[in-house]
Amino acid sequence: MRHWRALAIVVVALGLAVGAAACGGDDGGEATPDTTATEPATTGEEPATTEEEPATTEEEPSPEGPQAGGTYRVDWEETFGFTGGFDPVGEYLGEAFGIQSGLLVRTLIGYRHTAGSAGNELIPDLATDLGTISDDGLTYTYTLKDGIKFGPPLSREITSQDVAYAFERIGTESLVAQYGFYYTVIEGMSEFMAGEADTISGITTPDDKTIAFKLTAPTGDFPFRLAMPAAGPAPREVAGCFTEAGAYGRYLISSGPYMFEGSDALDASSCDTLEPIAGFDPNTSMTLVRNPDYDPATDTPEARENFVDRFEFKINSNPDDIFNKIKAGEIEDAVASEPPKVIREYTENEELTPLLHINAGDRTWYITLNLTQPPFDDIHVRKAANLVMDKEGLRRAWGGPTAGEIATHIIPDAMLNETLADYDPYPSEGYAGDVAAAMEEMKLSKYDTDKDGICDAPECKDVLYVTEADRLRQDMQPPTSASFEKIGITLKVRSVEGAYPVIQDVSKNVPASGRPGWGKDYADASTFMVLFDSRSTLPTGNINYSLVGLTPEQAAKVKASGTVEGIPSVDADIDACNVIPVGDERVQCWADLDKKLMEEVVPWIPYLDATATQITGPTVTKWDFDQFSGTIAYAHVAVAQ
Amino acid sequence: MTSLAGPVESAPLMGQVVGKSPRQLAWERFRHDRAALAGLLVIVLLVLISIFAGVIGKYLAGHGPNDLFQREMTDEFGLPLGPNSDFWFGADTAGRDLFVRVLYGARTSLLIALAATGIAVFIGVVLGTAAGYFRGVADTIVSRVTDVILALPLLLLAIGIAAACGTTKEGCLNGAIEPGLSLVVFIIALFSWPYIARIVRGNVLSIREKEFIESARSLGAGNVRIMFREVLPNLIAPIIVYSTLLIPSNILFEAALSFLGLGVPQETPSWGRMLSDAAGVFDVAWWLMLFPGLFLVATTLAFNLVGDGLRDALDPRSGR
Repeated sequence: MRHWRALAIVVVALGLAVGAAACGGDDGGEATPDTTATEPATTGEEPATTEEEPATTEEEPSPEGPQAGGTYRVDWEETFGFTGGFDPVGEYLGEAFGIQSGLLVRTLIGYRHTAGSAGNELIPDLATDLGTISDDGLTYTYTLKDGIKFGPPLSREITSQDVAYAFERIGTESLVAQYGFYYTVIEGMSEFMAGEADTISGITTPDDKTIAFKLTAPTGDFPFRLAMPAAGPAPREVAGCFTEAGAYGRYLISSGPYMFEGSDALDASSCDTLEPIAGFDPNTSMTLVRNPDYDPATDTPEARENFVDRFEFKINSNPDDIFNKIKAGEIEDAVASEPPKVIREYTENEELTPLLHINAGDRTWYITLNLTQPPFDDIHVRKAANLVMDKEGLRRAWGGPTAGEIATHIIPDAMLNETLADYDPYPSEGYAGDVAAAMEEMKLSKYDTDKDGICDAPECKDVLYVTEADRLRQDMQPPTSASFEKIGITLKVRSVEGAYPVIQDVSKNVPASGRPGWGKDYADASTFMVLFDSRSTLPTGNINYSLVGLTPEQAAKVKASGTVEGIPSVDADIDACNVIPVGDERVQCWADLDKKLMEEVVPWIPYLDATATQITGPTVTKWDFDQFSGTIAYAHVAVAQ
Repeated sequence: MTSLAGPVESAPLMGQVVGKSPRQLAWERFRHDRAALAGLLVIVLLVLISIFAGVIGKYLAGHGPNDLFQREMTDEFGLPLGPNSDFWFGADTAGRDLFVRVLYGARTSLLIALAATGIAVFIGVVLGTAAGYFRGVADTIVSRVTDVILALPLLLLAIGIAAACGTTKEGCLNGAIEPGLSLVVFIIALFSWPYIARIVRGNVLSIREKEFIESARSLGAGNVRIMFREVLPNLIAPIIVYSTLLIPSNILFEAALSFLGLGVPQETPSWGRMLSDAAGVFDVAWWLMLFPGLFLVATTLAFNLVGDGLRDALDPRSGR
C-alpha cells in the first residue's frame, strides 16, 4: 500500500490516467524496531511468531477489559498525505485504507482488521458470504445482507446498484482511479474506461441484493480486489455530483460504523446544495463520530468492535511533540515515523515496552537498478552490487533491527508463508557484503576490462544515483556509496525532494535509486509483481523502475535510451501465476518467480523486509494492528474513560 | 654605546614619526588591539587546520572524513556513540568520526566563505566604482539593483533558489547551475555584493571630486586609468575592512543553507549540515551540536574581531 509523500503523489495523481500508480513506500517508518529480542509484549491470543513474521502484538488487556466510549486521538506527521483527496476511488495510501476499510467504507468482502495472517484473510462484509464462483472461474456472484444502510444524510438501504456504481466511478477517467488496473479484468471494463460503452457489460445486478462480475480471464486474487475501498458502494445521488479527482472525499457518505462529524447536516437534496462536511478538512483535521444508521447485526465483532465514540485525527508536523504527547497520554496514537531515539527509549525502558507495537509491514525496501543503463545493463554488475552491499549498514540507518529483517529477495517473507525465509542468493557474513565474491562476479563483467574485480570502465565512474533529500536517505548514503566503491563504482548522488517523480520518468534514464519501497495492496504476491510487468511500463509515473521486460519498440514509446536489446521478461511467468487460485500452489508460483527475478534478472538490491511500528499512549486499553492496511486497526481500539 | 638611538633630540624623532607609512601606522594600531590579534591567531589556526585537515585526521585520529565506523560507533538503533579515546568528538549519525569531519568542515566553511566573498567583492567593486565614477544612468541602474537585492527577503529567496537548483536532478537553467559547492558560492555571492558596491560607490563619489583626480584627468588620463590607478588605491582600506566583516556573515550563510539541507553535497563535511543533523538527536547525542557549534562560533567571532580591529587600524575616522 502506498504511502508516498506529497510530490510523488501529486505527480502520479495528475499524470496517470492509467493506474500503475506506484507505490512507493512512504519513508514513513524510518525507524522501525525489532521483532525479536526487543519484542514488546505479545499478549493476546496470537503467539509471537518467528523472526521473519514479526510479532502480532495485540492489545493491552486492562483488568476489566476494554470499555466502550471515549475519544481516540491520532496525530499525523506532515499532512494527511492522501493521494486521492480521500475519495475511495483515487485513494492509494495505506493509512487512508485503514480509516476507510475499518470505519467508513464497507465492501462486499473485507478483512478482520487484525494483525498477522488472520488480518490478511478475507471474510464477508456487506455480502452474505465469500461469493459463488462459477466452474470456469470467470463469474463471481454476491448477495448483499439485509439492513445495510448508507449513513446520514441519506440513511437508505445500500443496493447492488450502489456497488455497481463504484465500478463506474473506477472506470471514469477524470476521477483517476489509481489502482483501476485491478479491475480491467472485468468484462467490458476497458470499453467503459475508453468511453466506448455506457455500462460495464460484465457487471450485472439482477435485483437489489445480487451482483455478479464476469471476468475475461480466470483471476485467482479477484476477491482481494473486491475488498479494496474503491470497490465499496457509492451513492450516485451524492458521489455522482463530482467529476474531479478527489472532490468526493469531503462528502464521503459512510457505509461503515462511523462517519464524518456533521454528515447529518449535509443537504443532499441536489448537487447544488452540497457543502463540504465539517468533520473533514484535508489541511487540518478529520473527526469521525458514530454512524446512527450502522447496524452491528450486519457486521461481526471479529471485523469491527467499535469501542470508541469518536476519532480525532490532527496534523502535527513535529514528531518530537507527537511522541511527547503520546507518552503524556494527551493523544492515543500517531501516524508518524518514530525517531530512533524514541524507539530506543521504548525498547530499553521496560515500563514503556508494552506500548511499542511491532508487526509485519508486508513491505520491501530496495535499491533499484535500471537494466538499460550502464554499468547496470550488465547482469554481472547487478549481481556484484547485490553481493557487495552492506545491507546491515543500511538497516542501521533505518534504526536497526527493529526496522525489520534484512531482505534477501523481493516479496516479504510473511507474504510467501516463509517459503523463502532461508533463501539468500547473495549471502554475506552479518549482511555486511561479501567483497571477495562481489569482485569474482565483477571479473565476469565487460566493464572490468583488466579482470581484477574492480570496475575500471568509464561507465562505472560518476554513476547517477537519485535519492530523497531527507534524513533517512542521507544516513543511508554513506554505507551505500562505500559499498559500491568496493567494486569500483562511484556514485554521483543527487538528493532531491520528490525522488519518485524523477525515477518514474523513464526518459530521465536514472541508473539507480535508493528511494523506493513497495508494500502490498492486498495479501497476494501479485501486488509486488506488477513492478516487473513490462505491460505496465509508462513514460511517466512508471513503477517498473528497472524496466524489466522492456522491448526496443516499447523503449521508443516510453523514451528509454541505453541498452534496450535483450532485456529479460517475466510477463509470461506473471500470467502463469495469476490464473492459479489463491492457495499454496499460487504462493509457490510467486516464490519461484521471486527466485528467478533475483537470479536471472536481478532488478533490485532488496535490503529491508520492513516491520510496521506503532507507539501508543497509556490511555489505550485495547490496540490491534490492521494487517491489510498496515496501520492502526481503528475498529478494534479502545481507550480508558 | 647606544649613541645612534640614544640622543633624544626632538627634530629627528618627529621626522621618524612623520616618516611612517600609513601601512606601518595601521599595523601599530592593530598590534595593540588584543582582541583582534587573538582573532587573527584563531584564523591562522583555522587556515592551518583547513590546509592540513587530511594530515591531522590521518595521523592524529587515523580516520578519513567519510570513513564509516557504523559497527563501532553507532548502537543497534543506529544512534551515534559519544567521544572516546579514538573518536575525540564522538561519531555522527552515520558513524563517521566527528573530529575529522569538523576539521574538514573548516575547509568547507573557509573555502566557501572566501570564494563567495571574493566574487562578491569583485562584483561590488567593479559595479560600485562604475556607478560612483560615471554617475548618471550607470549609477541609477546599479543603485536600484542594489536596493532591490537588499530589499529581498534574503534567506527566503536563497532557500528558494537553492531548492530550485539544488534539489532537482539537472540543476537549473538547463544544467548551467549544478547543485553543489559552486551553487552555494553563487547564491552567497549574489546576495553579498550589494553591500560592497554601496560602500565603494559612496567613497568613489567623494574621491572623484578630489583635486588629484582633476589633475590626472588634465594630464590626459582615461577613465579606466583613473578608476583603477587613482580611485581604487584609495578604497583599499574600506574594501579590506568590509570584506573581512563579510566573511563571517558568509560562513553563517553557508551554515544556514546547509542546515536547511540546501547547502553543500551531503558527503562534504559542513558545520551547518552537522548542526542540522544534530537537531533531531541532540538530546541523546550532545556532541553533534557542541563541537561544530563551537567551531562555528569561534570562526565567526575571530573574523569579526579581526574585521573590527582592521577597521580601527585602517580607517580610524570611521566610528564603530
